[in-house]
Amino acid sequence: MADTLAEARGVVRRFGGHVAVRDVSVAVHPGEVLGLLGANGAGKTTLLRMLLGLLPPTQGEVLLFGAPPSLTGRRRIGYMPQGLGLYDDLTPEENLRFARAVFGIGHPQSETKFSDRAVGWLPLGVQRRVAFTQVLQHGPQLLVLDEPTSGVDPLMRARLWQQVRAAADDGAGVLITTHHMEEAEQCDRLVVMADGQVVAEGGLDEILAGEEVLVIETPDWPQAMSLLEAADLQPALVGRSLRLAASEEALARQALGSLEFRLRRAPASLEERFVAIATGRR
Amino acid sequence: MRAMIVKEFLQLRRDRRTLAMMIVLPIMLLVIFGYAASFDVSRISAVVVGAQAKNFSQRLKAPFSLVGTYPGQGAAAARRDLRDGKADVAFVTGGGSTLVFINGADLFSARAAETAVARLSAPGADMPRLQAELKKVLPPGAEIKLVAPVPPRVKILYNPGLKTTLVMVPGIAGVILVFVGTLIASLGVVRERQAGTLEQLAVMPLSPWDVLIGKIAPYFAVAAIDLALVLAVGMWLFGVPMRGSWVLLILGALLFLFVTLSIGVLISSVSQNQGQAMQLAMLTVLPQILLSGLIFPLSSMAAGVRWISYLLPLTYFVQISRGEMLLGQPLRDLWQPFLYLAVLGLVAVTFAILRFHRLLNPSQGLGAPRRVQSAEARP
Repeated sequence: MADTLAEARGVVRRFGGHVAVRDVSVAVHPGEVLGLLGANGAGKTTLLRMLLGLLPPTQGEVLLFGAPPSLTGRRRIGYMPQGLGLYDDLTPEENLRFARAVFGIGHPQSETKFSDRAVGWLPLGVQRRVAFTQVLQHGPQLLVLDEPTSGVDPLMRARLWQQVRAAADDGAGVLITTHHMEEAEQCDRLVVMADGQVVAEGGLDEILAGEEVLVIETPDWPQAMSLLEAADLQPALVGRSLRLAASEEALARQALGSLEFRLRRAPASLEERFVAIATGRR
Repeated sequence: MRAMIVKEFLQLRRDRRTLAMMIVLPIMLLVIFGYAASFDVSRISAVVVGAQAKNFSQRLKAPFSLVGTYPGQGAAAARRDLRDGKADVAFVTGGGSTLVFINGADLFSARAAETAVARLSAPGADMPRLQAELKKVLPPGAEIKLVAPVPPRVKILYNPGLKTTLVMVPGIAGVILVFVGTLIASLGVVRERQAGTLEQLAVMPLSPWDVLIGKIAPYFAVAAIDLALVLAVGMWLFGVPMRGSWVLLILGALLFLFVTLSIGVLISSVSQNQGQAMQLAMLTVLPQILLSGLIFPLSSMAAGVRWISYLLPLTYFVQISRGEMLLGQPLRDLWQPFLYLAVLGLVAVTFAILRFHRLLNPSQGLGAPRRVQSAEARP
């Protein structure tokens, strides 16, 4: 098995005058779950489509299983797009049977039972489950999932993640895009994108890098919020406490003035770190 | 309501293709069809056979256009020339009155020929002229007595009653195939694109050829059933004959179907949505109906418009279906329409494959930007 399943080397993608992805290099290895994290419009889907060979890079190089994307490579990929890629007017079984025929595989030993109704009539959660079954059924070496859990309830999300982990444990490389921080925390490695660039890369610990935030606790949190905002600070309200970047301690103390408050430091969450990284780049 | 109208105008302005279709297309169609829409036949091709062929052919005037004089040949050769499409009318001379064969499969030419033959053989049509000529050469006072020629016997072949249905049904079968092939198939790929399943196909191990044939095959089967039904109903209900070879007709129909389906799929692959696909499909269907010779004879069209007819597959299918059903033409008379259909099919399918290649392999397809190594190569 190749060391690298999919790799982008210095890829750039322009749409007219707009640069969607600029000089990005990433690689997906067997057995790992790589999370592509970023806000909407950060360039995640564009990068992913380039990795799959669905979109040619304007500059740079893309390799799938060590070679440019090709028909042979496609047999080893399981791709679940945001739109799911299912035929709405076919039943789940008909969709699955079509995919099995294309990939040239037989009927599975253990089969998940789905409704006999056309996919278009099924709830979104079930549709996602069908799409996920479809991309897994030929045992792909590379699993590419574009925001697979959006619109899915927590139970279903947990079940999908279980399957993702199982696929990775079996040796598949998983590339997954998300903007849900709690999902990103389940990835082995993260690539954080903002404005089409990679702004941070590594494991969760590396991304967090011991960063801390300020936690402001005060009985009059609405007043504290107003004072901080008036000082051009952007506090986040978590429960009844306010959280700010650690570097803004002096400004916060000055803004709160005589207000009764208690200030302490706490480890930054991934979301806070992500916001700090993303806005810092801007 | 005003807001709604303004919004519609805004959307229409953004949809350049629809706007162009609404403004440019009607003018274009009017000009093209204006030059094509003519039932007038100004030229009737004629052959003359038999002992008096040379003398007779000298007497032929417009609208007849002599394409051959064969004194040594008889009625059988004349019939053959008509069947093979060499002439619209054949005069068989010698042995009493002249026998005139008219090809009834070409309705407008046949009607024009009927009128022209009647005028040619009208009793006394040439009498005043002949009398004047004779007076010049005979002594004054000589008695001139001219006997009117025996009127020719006219026989209309292949469609004796000059029935419109017999001529139209074989061509209408083609129109139905165009509708099924081009219009319906044109929605095939664009539906995948709109549903987002095209992207899924692009990452599946399917070659452009797999997708193209997979898309065409079901429509091909349905259209083949349609064709069989149309022909059966045409023969049973309207009495359309089948004088030629079923094999050639089916072969021509399958070839034609392949061309129309390829055009349909090609349209589908270049369209962004189903509306665009339908507009483009109509753009190919309408000229086929009006310029293929199905309604207006090709010979009546202005030369500038007729070349468009030669680019349309229906033109050749009409020739094949009429040739087989009404005339019973052998392959040697129809090799040209078969060849042109094959060429059109090859062109359409090549473009369709290239488009599919681009859709399914954008990284390697046509028009993909050249790969340029980053100036700042990473380790």
